[in-house]
Amino acid sequence: MAIDLGFWTLQALNALQLSMLLFLLSIGLTVIFGLMHFVNLAHGALYALGAYFAAWLAAYGGFWLAFLLAPVAVAGVGVLLYSGLIKRMRKSGPMAQVLVTFGLIFALLDLTRIFWGDLPQVLDAPAMLDGRLAFFGIEYPTYRVFIIVLGLVVLAALAFVLGRTQIGAMIRAGVDNDAMAACLGINVEKLFFVVFCVGCALAGLAGAVAAPLLSVTPEMGLQILIPTLIVIVIGGLGSLKGAIAGSLIYGVVQTFGAVLAPQLASVLIYALLAAVLVIKPTGLFPAKG
Amino acid sequence: MFRHTALRYAALGLLASAAVFQAFTADYFGLEILTEILILAMLVLALDMVAGFGGMVSLGHGALMGVGAYGYALLSTMGGLAPPVAMVGAVLVSGAAAWVIGAICARSHGIYFIMATLAFGQMAYSYVFEAPIFGGDDGLGGIVRPDLGAVGMDLNDSRTFVLFCLAALALVYAAAVVILQSGLGRSMTGVMHNEQRMRALGLTVWRVKADVFGLSGMIAGLSGVLAAQHILYISPGLLSWTVSGEALVVVILGGLGTLVGPLVGAAAFVVLKHEISALTTYWHLVVGVILIAVVMSRANGIFGWIEARSAQWGARRSADPLHISQTEEARSDA
Amino acid sequence: MLETRNLDKRFGAVHVTRDVSIKLERGERRVILGPNGAGKTTLFNQLVGELTPDKGSVHLAGVDVTDLPVAKRTRQGLSRSYQKNTLFDGLTVAENLGLAAAIHTSNATRIWSDSLARPEVQEIVQDVANQVQVLPYLQARVSEISYGVRRQLEVGVALATRPKVLLMDEPTSGVGPEMAKGFHRLLNDLPRDLTVLIIEHDMDLAFDVADTITVLNYGEVVFDGQPEAARGSKLLKEIYLGSWEDA
Repeated sequence: MAIDLGFWTLQALNALQLSMLLFLLSIGLTVIFGLMHFVNLAHGALYALGAYFAAWLAAYGGFWLAFLLAPVAVAGVGVLLYSGLIKRMRKSGPMAQVLVTFGLIFALLDLTRIFWGDLPQVLDAPAMLDGRLAFFGIEYPTYRVFIIVLGLVVLAALAFVLGRTQIGAMIRAGVDNDAMAACLGINVEKLFFVVFCVGCALAGLAGAVAAPLLSVTPEMGLQILIPTLIVIVIGGLGSLKGAIAGSLIYGVVQTFGAVLAPQLASVLIYALLAAVLVIKPTGLFPAKG
Repeated sequence: MFRHTALRYAALGLLASAAVFQAFTADYFGLEILTEILILAMLVLALDMVAGFGGMVSLGHGALMGVGAYGYALLSTMGGLAPPVAMVGAVLVSGAAAWVIGAICARSHGIYFIMATLAFGQMAYSYVFEAPIFGGDDGLGGIVRPDLGAVGMDLNDSRTFVLFCLAALALVYAAAVVILQSGLGRSMTGVMHNEQRMRALGLTVWRVKADVFGLSGMIAGLSGVLAAQHILYISPGLLSWTVSGEALVVVILGGLGTLVGPLVGAAAFVVLKHEISALTTYWHLVVGVILIAVVMSRANGIFGWIEARSAQWGARRSADPLHISQTEEARSDA
Repeated sequence: MLETRNLDKRFGAVHVTRDVSIKLERGERRVILGPNGAGKTTLFNQLVGELTPDKGSVHLAGVDVTDLPVAKRTRQGLSRSYQKNTLFDGLTVAENLGLAAAIHTSNATRIWSDSLARPEVQEIVQDVANQVQVLPYLQARVSEISYGVRRQLEVGVALATRPKVLLMDEPTSGVGPEMAKGFHRLLNDLPRDLTVLIIEHDMDLAFDVADTITVLNYGEVVFDGQPEAARGSKLLKEIYLGSWEDA
C-alpha cells in the first residue's frame, strides 16, 4: 500500500509540474485575449524562443543568468511584435489576427532554424537543482519541484497583482469592458502593451525552465501550442481562475490518463475539451458571461 | 451569397485550360505537382464552403481529409471492398464524422468554433496515431487505385490519374456551387450574416450548420481518398492540425468566400512551395511573411484583390453602380 | 390568440417583468406603451423565446409554448421585428425577404434546388415587398438603402414568415413623421385576421391603430384597456409623459 501511495504521489507531482508549466504559458495568452480579444497563436513560438535564448545565454553566464534574462529577451521580442504588427491588427477581426499570428509561427520557426540550426540545443539544470529530493517516502527530481514552486510563486504574484493592486483593477476593468475602462481615464493602449509584454515574458520564462526537461527544437513551440489552447478554452478565455483550472485539469487528465488508460490517454483530453464546449461553449470560468 | 461573375467564369476558364494543358504536356514531375494542386484545391474548396459562406472557420478539415484517406485505405485493403465502393464508403464516413462535429460545434462561435474543430481534429489524429489498426506512426501501405480498365483507362499512369483528379475536382466544384445556391446554402449564408434573425425567422440553425459541414466533410474526405490513391501510402501526418492550418492559409491567400480564389490559392501555394524549396530550405519563413503581408494589406487574398481592382476599374470607366456593388459583395461574402 | 399568464422575470436585483398577464384576441391590434426601461422589449423577448421567463407561461393559439425554442414558435406563427434593424446587411432586399419566405415554405434546407427561385417564395417576396413598400429596391443591397426603407424591410422580413401573430418593436423608431404616417397605412392595410402587438413611442400612432392599449411601468401592467380610457388616464400621463419630459 505504501508503494502504491508513493506511486500516486509521484504521479500527482508530475501532473502538478505539467500544470504549472502550462499555467505559465496560458495565463499570458488568456489575459491578452481577455483584454484585447486577440488570440496570439505565436505564443508557443515565443516559448520556444525563450528556450533558445536560455540555452544560448546559459553558455555564457550559466543557468541563472539565462533564467533571468531569457524572459526579458522574449519580452523585447514582444515589444517589437506589438509595435510592428499587433497594434495595427487591433481593429481587425479575430480571423485576421489568427492568421497573422499563424504567419508569425511560420516565420519564427524558420528564424530559430536560421540562427541556431536544426540540431537540438541543450540546457542543463544548475547543479544545485540537479539532485533528487526525498519526502513522504519518495524521491523526486529537485528541478521539477523547482518548476512547481516557481509556478505557484508566479500564480500567487499574479493573483495578488490582479486582485489587490491598482493596475490589477485596471486590467480587470479592461477585460470586463474596455470601452468603459477607456472612459474612466485608463490608458487602455498602454495597458495592452504592458500586459502583452508581461505575457511574452511569462512565455519566455516557461520556455527557459522547460528547456532542461526537453531538448530545445524549433518544433517545441508548435508542440506546446495545442495543450495551451486546450487549457484556455477549457478554463474559459480571459480569466486567471480559468487558466488555473484548465492547467490543473489538463495536467491531471494527461498524467493520470497515461497511467490508467494508456490506449485512450491521448484522446481523453480532446474528448474532455469537446465535452466542455458542448456543455459550456465558453469554457468553465469565462471572464464574461 | 455566391454568384458567378464574368471575372469568376474567366478565372475558372483560365485555371481549367491551364490544368488541361499541363495534364497533357507536363513531364512526370510536373504531373506530380499538378496532382498535388488538384487535391489541395479540393480540400480548400471544402473549407471555403463552410468558412467563406458560413463563417465556420474550421481547423479540423485536415483531419476530415485524413478520415477519407484512412477510410479508403482500410475499406479497400482490410475491408476487401472494390475501390469504387471503398471510395463511396470513405466519403460517406468522413461526411458523417463532419456532420457530427458540425452538430456539436454549432453552438460555438468565433475562436471557440476554431478551437472546437481543432480539438476534434487532434482527437482523430491522436487516435489514428495510437490505434494499431491504423498502423500507428508507420502508416498504411498497399493502397490501390480504382481499375478503370473497363473504359480503357489506366489510373496507374500518372497522366490518366491527373485527368481523373481534374474530373473529380470539376464535379466537386459544380456540386459546391449548387449547394451554395440551394436553399441550404443560402440559409447558411443568412446564418453567417445574422444568426439571431435566422433563428427568429424559424430556422433550426444547428441543423443547417451540421448539414453543410457534413457536405463539406464529404468533399474533404474525397480529397483524402485521392491523396491516398496518389501517394499509395498514408501516415497520421495527414491528419495533423498543420494540414488544416495550411488549408486555411491557402483559402486566405486565394480569397475567402470567392470559391474561385481558393483554387487560385492552391495553385499558387503548391507552385511557390516547390519553387522556394528549390532555392532555400527556409520556405516557411517566406510563406509566413507572405501570409502576414496579405492579411495586413486587408485585401481579400489574391483573387479578392483582383475582383476589387477590376470592380474599381469598371466603376471608373462607366460610373455604373452595379460594379461597385460587386466589390461590396466580395467583401460582404467574406 | 396570444396570451401570457403571470409572466415574471428578474435580472439580478432588477425586476424587469412583474406578473404580466395579457391576452390578445385573434385580429386584435394592441399597442404597448411605457417609458424607457419599462420592460417592453424584455417582454417581447420572452414572448418569442429569446429569453426564458422565471415564472409564468406564454400561450399561442391556446397552446403552451413557454418551453419551445425561438425557431419553433416562429414556425407556429409568431414573428417579430426588432427595434434595432436586424437585417442581412450584405444581401439584397429580395434575398432578405426570400430567406424568411424560404423558411416558411420549407425550402430553406433543400440541398439541390435554389430556394429563392421557387415560385411560392417569389410570390411571398413580391407580396410582402408590396405591403411594406420596398418593391423598387428589391435588387438593392441593404447597405445601399436608406434608414427609413430599412425600417420597412425590418417589418417586411417578419411578415415574410406569414405569421398569425406579429410583434413589432418600435417600427417607427428613428424615422420622420412622414414615414411614421406610412406605417399607419401599412398597419391598417395588414390582413384583418392578423394579430398585432406593437411597442410604440409615438402616442398618435398608438391611439390611431390600437384596438387596445397596455401600459407597462417598471415591468408591471399599470393599464390595460380601450384607447379612449387611456387617453383620459391621469396615471398614463404621469408615467408616460413624465418620463417623456425627463428624456
